[in-house]
Amino acid sequence: MRKTKSVLVSMFGAAVLQLPSGVLEPTIPDQNPLTAAKVELGRRLYFDKRLSADGTVSCATCHDPQKGFADGRPVAVGIKNQAGARNSPTVLYAGFNEVQFWDGRAPTLEEQAKQPLINPVEMGQPSHEAVVKAVAAIADYGDGFAAAFGSKAITIDRIADAIASFERTLAPFSSPFDRFLKGDKQAISDAAKRGFVLFQGKARCVTCHEFNNSFPYFTDNKFHNIGVAMKGNFEQLAREAQSTAGKKSTESEAALAHKPGYEALGRWIVTRQPKDIGGFKTSGLRDIALTAPYMHDGSLKTLDDVMEFYNKGGEPNPNLDGGIRPLNLTQEEIADVIAWMQSLTDDTGGANFDWDQLKQLSAQTRAGDIAAAPAP
Amino acid sequence: MTQLGRSLLIVVATVVGTIVAIRVQGEDALHHQLPAPADGKSKVVGLCDGETSVTVTGVAPGERMAPEKARAVASELMDKYDAKLQMAHGGTAETPREMRVWEAELKRVIDDGYKLFHSSELGTNGISCDMCHPDASNTHPESYPKFQTQLKKVALLRDMINWCIENPLEGPKLADDDDKMKAIEAYILSSRKGAALDAGKH
Amino acid sequence: MAKYTLPNERKRREYLAARDELLATLPQMSRRDFFRTAAKAAAAATVAWNGLPPHSFQLVNVAEAKEAGPKFTFAYVSDSHILDKGMNHRFIRACQKAVQDVNALDPQPDFVLFGGDLAQLGRAEELSIGQQILKDLKAPVRMMVGEHDWYFDMGEKWREMFGAPTYSFDHKGVHFIVLNSVIVEDYWTEPKMTPAERMQAMAQLDNPHGRPFTVGAEQREWLKQDLAKVNKQTPIIVFSHSPLYKYYRPWNFWTDDAEEVQKLLAPFAAVTVIHAHTHQPLTNRIKNMTFHGVLSTAWPWPYAPKGLPELTVQMVRADPFNQFDGCGYGEVTALENGQVNKRYDLWDRNPMDVTFERVSKGRKGMEELAALMKGNVSWPSY
Repeated sequence: MRKTKSVLVSMFGAAVLQLPSGVLEPTIPDQNPLTAAKVELGRRLYFDKRLSADGTVSCATCHDPQKGFADGRPVAVGIKNQAGARNSPTVLYAGFNEVQFWDGRAPTLEEQAKQPLINPVEMGQPSHEAVVKAVAAIADYGDGFAAAFGSKAITIDRIADAIASFERTLAPFSSPFDRFLKGDKQAISDAAKRGFVLFQGKARCVTCHEFNNSFPYFTDNKFHNIGVAMKGNFEQLAREAQSTAGKKSTESEAALAHKPGYEALGRWIVTRQPKDIGGFKTSGLRDIALTAPYMHDGSLKTLDDVMEFYNKGGEPNPNLDGGIRPLNLTQEEIADVIAWMQSLTDDTGGANFDWDQLKQLSAQTRAGDIAAAPAP
Repeated sequence: MTQLGRSLLIVVATVVGTIVAIRVQGEDALHHQLPAPADGKSKVVGLCDGETSVTVTGVAPGERMAPEKARAVASELMDKYDAKLQMAHGGTAETPREMRVWEAELKRVIDDGYKLFHSSELGTNGISCDMCHPDASNTHPESYPKFQTQLKKVALLRDMINWCIENPLEGPKLADDDDKMKAIEAYILSSRKGAALDAGKH
Repeated sequence: MAKYTLPNERKRREYLAARDELLATLPQMSRRDFFRTAAKAAAAATVAWNGLPPHSFQLVNVAEAKEAGPKFTFAYVSDSHILDKGMNHRFIRACQKAVQDVNALDPQPDFVLFGGDLAQLGRAEELSIGQQILKDLKAPVRMMVGEHDWYFDMGEKWREMFGAPTYSFDHKGVHFIVLNSVIVEDYWTEPKMTPAERMQAMAQLDNPHGRPFTVGAEQREWLKQDLAKVNKQTPIIVFSHSPLYKYYRPWNFWTDDAEEVQKLLAPFAAVTVIHAHTHQPLTNRIKNMTFHGVLSTAWPWPYAPKGLPELTVQMVRADPFNQFDGCGYGEVTALENGQVNKRYDLWDRNPMDVTFERVSKGRKGMEELAALMKGNVSWPSY
C-alpha cells in the first residue's frame, strides 16, 4: 500500500513531476533536466500547428488530449490528408518507455519529437532548419526559450527538449485502479478485480504487459510478433527479410516504417535481425479504453476484438512469438479482463497537469480560434 | 536471546559466580562430587545442580579467579545447564528411533516429490517437470526470492513451480499448502543440498 | 525450370554486388575515410545478419572469399516427441512449424533427415501422426530412429512404417551411414515389465536405473563391412541418435561403445557425425571426426553439469513462457573439402552457424561465434 508520494525535483527546486510512492523515476537524458519553464514552453509548441509545413498539423493533431492523447483513427493522417501506416500511440506515460515508436527507432522522447516534424506524411517540413525558421518567425516564443534555456536562441534540440519535457508531465495516476492499489478496495468492481487476477494468471498478459510497484505501466518495452497485420504478402515479405543478408537499404527507418507492406516488418526495420521480423513494442495499457482502435495498424477496433484475437492465439505466421498460444478464456473471463482494463482510465490529469485545460487548448487550436497556447 | 534474557543471565551468572566462589573456598555444603579436571591439572568448578561442572584451564585448584574470568566460567556453566533444559520433554535427545523416523519421513516426502516431478499428472498435456529439469537441474531454488521475469514480480520457489504447472504443463495450480506442492519443493531443495543461498541471482 | 543456385553462390553474388558498390565510391575517398568506411561496413554486416561471414564486407580480405565451396545442403527436423493428445498439442504444432519452415527454404535442401524420437511414447498413433506431418515435406525424407520410437514394441511399428533402421546411401560423393545407436542391454524381461513400463523407463532421461546406449557388436560388424567398400578419401557423414561419444552418462548423452565405433571411422579423411537426443547445440571434435548435435522441435534439454565438449558454444537458457524457445530445425551444408557447415535455425532467435572454418580453429574459432551469440535470446534475458 502506498502512503506517501515521492516527487521528482527539478534542478531549480520546484516539484515538476509527482509519482506515487515506490514508482521508479523515468530516465531523463542528462542534457535535458526537467524544469517548469521547459514544460510551459513545450506545452505551447505541442499545440502549435505553425510547426508544420502548411500550418495545419501540430503534435496535438494526432496526439489529442480530447482523445486520450491519440487520435481515434486506425492510422494517423497528416498534412494534405495523407495517411501514414501506423496507429498513433498515446503520449500518456510515454515518458516511462525505454524507446519510442512501435518499432523502437527513437531512443528518447526528444528524438521522437524530431521525426514527425520532417515526415512528409505527418507534419511535412522539408528539414529541421525549416522548423527552426518557422518557430523563430513567431515573436512570442523568444521569451519562452529564454526562460527555459537561458537565451532566446532557437534550435531543433531545444524545441525537442521542450516538447519532451511537457510530455513527461503527462502522467496522471488518477484512475480507479490507482486508488485500488492505494488501498481503496471499493474503487473497482468485482469483475475488474477478477480481471486483474486473470491478467496476472490464466490470460498470460503480465509477462509482456509488465506491471509491478516499481514499473506500473503495463509494458516490458520489448518487441513481440503476435501476428497482427498478416495481410497480403506478409509471409513472403517475412521470408525475404529472413534471407536478406545485410542488403543495403537507402531508405531511412522512418520511411520504411510507413511504406505500405514494409511497415508490418516492425522491429526488424531497426535491427535487421531475423528474430525481430514482425515484432512491435508492447503497448502500455493505462487509459487503453480511450485509445481505440488498437495495434500498430489500428486493425483491432475494440477491446473485445483484442481479447478475441489473443484468446484464439493470435495469427499464425512464420515468426509468431512462441509465447502466444490459445488461452481458452470463457466469455465471462474476457468480460472481467475488459472491465479491469476500463478501470485503468484516468479521471483527471492528477497532480501533474490540467487535462481539462489541455482539452480546451486542443479544441481552440483545432478550430483556429487561437494559433497556439498563449505565453504565460 | 532477548535483551531481558541477556540481562537476566548476567545477573544469574554473577550470583552463581558468587555461589561458586563460596563453594570453591572449601565449603563442601552441597556435596557435589566434582570430576577430575579434563587436562589433569586445572581447577574444576561445579554448578549448584550437583551435576554440571567445567574445567577451567590455566587456573590451578585453589587459585582465586579474577572477576571477569569468574563471570565467564559462570556463563559457561549456565550454558551447559540451559542445554539440558532444552531436553524438557522426556529429557534425552536424538534417540535412534527418532533419527530413523526423521530419515524415513523426509525420504517419503522427497520420494513423493520425485514422483510428481517425473509424472505428467500435474499438467494436462503430457509434459512433466523433468523434461526441462532432468535431475531437477536448472531449478536453482537457492536463487529465490528473486524478480521472476515470467511473473514480472518477486517470486519464491513455490510461485515458480505453480507458474510452470499452469503454463508449460497447462495444469491447475496447487494450493500453497498442498502436500503435493510441499513434496515437489522438498525434492527440488534436496537436490541442491549444500548450494549457497543466493537470493536474487539471475 | 527454375535455375538452381547453390546457397553459397547466392551469397557470393551479393557480396560481389556490395563490394562493387563500395568500390565505386573509392575514388572520392581519402585514405582515412577508406578505412573508416571499411570498418563501418564490416560492423554493419555483422549487426545485420550473422548468417553472412563478417569478412564479406572487408575489402582487404577479398582473397579469403575463396573458402571451401559447397556441394549440397540437407536439412533436419528432429526429436518431435509427438503425443496423441489432440491436433492442437504444442508438440504437433511445433513439428508442423518445422515442416513449414523447411519447405520455405530457398533453394530447397537435397533431402531432409528426421533425427529420431518422432513419437514420445512409441505408440502407433504417435508414429502415424508424425509420419503424416513429415509427408508434407517437399524434399525427400531420410528417417533415423530414437529410443522413444523403439522401446514400446522393440521397433516393430517403426520397421513397418520406415524400413530397416540401419542403412547407408551415397549422395553426390558423400557416403551416408544411418545407425540405430540406442540399443540397450535388456533389463525388462527378467522383472517382467510390460511394454508400457519399458517405454516409460526408457522415456525418463534421468532414470537412475537406465542402461547406456550402444551401437552394439552386430551393428559395428555391419558398419565394418559397409565401410570396407568405401574409399578412405570419401567424405563420411554418420547419422546417429546417441552422440557416438561420451558426454554425460546419467542422461544417456552417451554411447558406451563410442571408442570402438570411432576406431572404425578414424581411417577416413573427413568424418562428421550428426546426432540427436540432446536437444541442444553441441559441437565436439575427436581426432579427425566432428560431432554436431541437432535441435529438437519439442523442448530443449539443459546442458549437463559436466562432460560438455570444450568446443560447444551453449545456447542461452530457454524461456519457458515461449513454447518454441530453444527449439527449431537446422541445415547442414556439405563442403568441397568433405567437411560440413552446421546451421542451427533456432526459433525466435537468430540462427547459429557452426562453420567448419570456426571448428577447425578450435576454441579460438568458437569464441568468435560465442561473441556473436551474446544476447541471442528470444526474450527475456535473464
